[in-house]
Amino acid sequence: MAIDHGVRPSADSVSDTGSESARTRPRRGRLAAGIAVGVVVVAIGLPVVAVAIRAAWVDGSIDGEAIGRILSEPRTWRLIAVTVGQAVVSAVITVVIGVPVAWALSRFRFPGRRPLRTLVVVPFVLPSVVVGAAFATVLGPSGPVDLRGTWFAVLAAHLCFNIAVVVRVVGAAVGGLDPGTEDAARTLGCSTLTAARRVVLPAIRPAVMSAAVVVFLFCLASFGVIVILGGGSVTTVEVEIWVRATRQFDLSGAAVLAVIQVVTVVAALALHSHFARRSPVVSGARRVPQRPPRGGFEWSAVAFASVVVLAVAGVPLAALVERSLRVPGGHGLEHWTNLGSVTAGTGLSISPLHAVLTSIATATTAAVIAVVVAVPAASAVARRPGGRADRVLLLPLGVSATTIGLGLLLLVGRPPIDLRGSWWLVPLGQALVAMPLVVRVVAPALASIPKSVPEAASLLGASPRDRWWRVDLPLARPAIGAGAGLALVACLGEFGATAFLTRSDRVTVPVAIERLMSRPGSAGFGQAMALSCILVLLCAGIVALIDHLAADDGFHLGF
Amino acid sequence: MRSRDSRPRRNGVRNPSAWLVGGLVVLALCGGVAACGDDGSSGGGADATEVRLVTYSSFALPEKAAEQFEKETGAKIRVIASDDSGAMLTKALLSAGSPEGDVIFGIDNTSATQAMSEDLLEPYLGPQTDSLPAGVALGGEAGNHLSPIDRGDVCINVDQSWFSSQSIAPPTTLADLTDPRYRDLLVVESPVTSSPGLAFLIGTVARYGDGWMDYWQKLKDNGVSVRQSWDDAYSTDYTVSGGDRPLVVSYASSPPAEVVFSEGKRTEPASTVMTDSCVSQVEYAGVLTGTDRPKLARKLVDFMQGPEWQAEIPLTNFVFPVVADTPLPEEFQKWAVRAEAPLDIDAETIGSQRDAWIESWRSIME
Repeated sequence: MAIDHGVRPSADSVSDTGSESARTRPRRGRLAAGIAVGVVVVAIGLPVVAVAIRAAWVDGSIDGEAIGRILSEPRTWRLIAVTVGQAVVSAVITVVIGVPVAWALSRFRFPGRRPLRTLVVVPFVLPSVVVGAAFATVLGPSGPVDLRGTWFAVLAAHLCFNIAVVVRVVGAAVGGLDPGTEDAARTLGCSTLTAARRVVLPAIRPAVMSAAVVVFLFCLASFGVIVILGGGSVTTVEVEIWVRATRQFDLSGAAVLAVIQVVTVVAALALHSHFARRSPVVSGARRVPQRPPRGGFEWSAVAFASVVVLAVAGVPLAALVERSLRVPGGHGLEHWTNLGSVTAGTGLSISPLHAVLTSIATATTAAVIAVVVAVPAASAVARRPGGRADRVLLLPLGVSATTIGLGLLLLVGRPPIDLRGSWWLVPLGQALVAMPLVVRVVAPALASIPKSVPEAASLLGASPRDRWWRVDLPLARPAIGAGAGLALVACLGEFGATAFLTRSDRVTVPVAIERLMSRPGSAGFGQAMALSCILVLLCAGIVALIDHLAADDGFHLGF
Repeated sequence: MRSRDSRPRRNGVRNPSAWLVGGLVVLALCGGVAACGDDGSSGGGADATEVRLVTYSSFALPEKAAEQFEKETGAKIRVIASDDSGAMLTKALLSAGSPEGDVIFGIDNTSATQAMSEDLLEPYLGPQTDSLPAGVALGGEAGNHLSPIDRGDVCINVDQSWFSSQSIAPPTTLADLTDPRYRDLLVVESPVTSSPGLAFLIGTVARYGDGWMDYWQKLKDNGVSVRQSWDDAYSTDYTVSGGDRPLVVSYASSPPAEVVFSEGKRTEPASTVMTDSCVSQVEYAGVLTGTDRPKLARKLVDFMQGPEWQAEIPLTNFVFPVVADTPLPEEFQKWAVRAEAPLDIDAETIGSQRDAWIESWRSIME
C-alpha cells in the first residue's frame, strides 16, 4: 500500500476530490458527461454491430456460410498467428530499444533534448502510408537494400512508428519519479547502471508493460505500413479485411475477419487495463529534468538515444525529401511542380493538389466533430481515472480503422440511408477513428488541472455557469487545444477507414499516396514522395505547435 | 528554458491555444465552403460536357476516337481509373446505384456473372452486339447488359532473345513451366486483382481439371512470382521491359507493342507467344445504373463499338477489335497471334466456381 501511495499520490487525491465534486457538481454536468460517453460508444459501436450482423446475416436471413468458409480455411489461422506474432515481436523490439531512450531523454538535461523529444513523436502522428512510403524508399528498390515484401521492413517501420509511445509513456513515468531515490542509491555506492536497473526499472515496470501492450495493439491493427511495404505473403488480418472487401467483393468474409480482429484486440485491451490500473494515468507534477549527464555511462546513454531517434525518425523523413526531388537525370523540382495537374498513367483522376485540399477540408471537419463529441467524454474519464467511463472508453481503441470503414459502408451504404455519394461520409469515418485518441489525450490533461482553483471560485460565489465559462474552460483550453490538434493530425493521415469510403474524384492525400505508390517506376512515385513531404510538414507543424504550447514537459499520452 | 517552471502559465499559454482553436474554426468554415463548391462541380454530379468512363489504370484512351466523340456529341470523355480490374469491379459493385461514373469498361468474360449482382448495369447493348459470334457476345442475363468491345488471348509471352542469350530452349507447354530448368523465370498476376491473372488461372483449370491445384503447387515450388496487376508484371518484371523474368502472363497481341513502343530501335518483337497457354478473353462495356446522363452513356457505348474506336484499339490497348472487317495495323498483321484452340470454360461454370477457385488459389499461393 505504501508503494501504491508513492506511485499514485495524486490519484488518491483526485479520487477524493472527485467524489466530493461529484456530490457538489450539478447533476446536469454529470448527465452531459454520461451522454457524451454514450454517444462515443454508440457512434463507434454501430459500425461494429453492422459488421457483426453482416458476418452472419445476408439478404434478410441467417447465413453462416461465410463463417464456416473463413474459419475452416487453414490460411485464416495462419494469418491470425502471423498477425499476433508480428505484433508481439514489434512490441518487444520497440520496448527493448525504447526504454533506454526514454530514460535518457527524461532523466537528463542536455542541449537538443526538446527537439529530439519532438522528433521522436513525429512518426507517430504521421500517416502510416507516409511511414511506409519513407521506408519503401530507404529499404526499397531504389535504396541501398531491397527489403520490400519482407517482414524486416515492416518491423523497422513499426519501430519508427511506435517508439514515440514508449518514449512518452515510460518517459512520463521516469519523470514522475523522485530523482532523490536514484541519487540516494548512488550515494550508497551503486553505479548509474545498477541504480537505473534496480531503482528505476521496478518503479516504471507498470508503465513499460502498459506501453508494450499499447504498441502491441497498434501493431495488431497496423494497416497502411503493411499495405505499402508488404505484398503477397506479408499480410495481416487487417489488410485481409480490406482486400476481401475491396478486391474480392466478399463482404461477408471481410466481416467475419473483422469480428475476429475485434475479439483479438478486446482481449489485448483487457490485458492493458489490468496493467493500467497499476500505473498512473497522471503521475503528479512531471518534473523537467534538472541535471546534465555526468560520466561515461550517462553520456553514452544520451548518445545512444540521440542516434536511435535520428536513425529511426530522421533518416526515413530525409529519404522522403530526397526521393521527392529525384528526377530522371539527377535532382529537380519536377515532381513538385506537377502536383497541380493530373499526370496520365499515375492512377489518379484528380491532381494531387486537389487531394491536399480535400484532405484539409475533410480533416478539419472530422476534427471538429471528434473534439465536440470526445471532449465531454474525456472530462468524464478525467473525473475518475480508472473508473467505469475510463474502461468503457478504452474499448473503441480496439476497433480498427478498417472495421470502422467497413461498418460505416455497410451501415449507410444502402438505401434507405445511402450516404455513398455524400461528402460527409469520409469526415464521419475519420471522426470515428479520431475520437478514442482525443479522449486518451485530453483526459489526463484535464485530470491534471488543479481542482482547487475552480472550487475556490465556487466558494467565492461564482454561479455554475460563471464558473464553467470563466474558470473551468480557460483552464481546460490547453488540453482541448492539444486534443483538437491531435485529432486534426490523426484525420489528415487517416487511411484505414478512408480507403473504404473514398471515391475517385474525392481522394484524400493518404489514399492518393497509396495509389501513386502502387506503380514504382512511374512519375507517380516521385509525386507520392512530394505529397508525403507536404503531409509531414503539416502534421509535424501542428504537433510541434501543440508540444510547444503544453504547460509542462510536452503533452502526455494518457494510455 | 529556465523560466519554464511548473506553475501553470495561463496568460502565456491561453492566447496561442485560442489562436489554434480559432484557426481550426476558420479552416473548418473554409472546408465547408470548399465542400459545397466541390459537390457542385466534380463531386456529386459531373460537368454537363463530360461523360465519365470507369476503367482500370492500364487502359489507354484512344485519343483520336475520343476527339471524334467530343466533336459529335460535345462531351469530353473523363477516365476514372482504378489500380486493376478487380478493384475496379469491386468498387463499382460497392457503389452500385450511386456510381462514380457513367460507363464501365473492363469487365471480361470471367467476371461477367459477378457484375450481374447488385443491379450494377442497365440493360443496354451496343448496336454491333447482335452481329457478333456466340463466343464473343455473352448469353443469359449478362448478354443483355454487356457489350463486347475487344478481345485478346491471354497467353504466356516468352522472351526469345533472353533464352537464346542463355542458350536454353524456351518452354513450349504449360507442363514445361514446372520443369526445374525454368525455375524462377515466370511471373504471373494475381487472379484476385488482375483479369489476365484470373484468365490464366481459369486456363489451368480448363487444362488440368481437378488437378489444377497440384499444378499451381508445382509452379510455386518452381519459384513463380506473383504480382498484383498486369502493369507490374509486364512493365516492371518482364525482361523485355528491363526486369528479371523472361516468362510473363500477358496477351497474344503484346509482341507488336514491343515494336511500336521501341521508338524505332526494334524492327521485330523479342517475344513469342506460348500458344499452348492461351485463354480467350473478351472485354465488355456497360452503362452503370444510377448515372445522371444515361443518354450520353449509351452514346459512348455505341461509339466504342463504332469504326473509329475499334480501329484505334490495336495500337492503344494491344488487343483485337471485336467488330469484323476492322482494318488491322501492319504490326498486328505481321506479329499478333490468334490462338487456334484457346482454353475456355463456359460462363455459367465460371460464374458459380470462380470464388471457390480464387479462394483455393489464395490458400496455395499466399
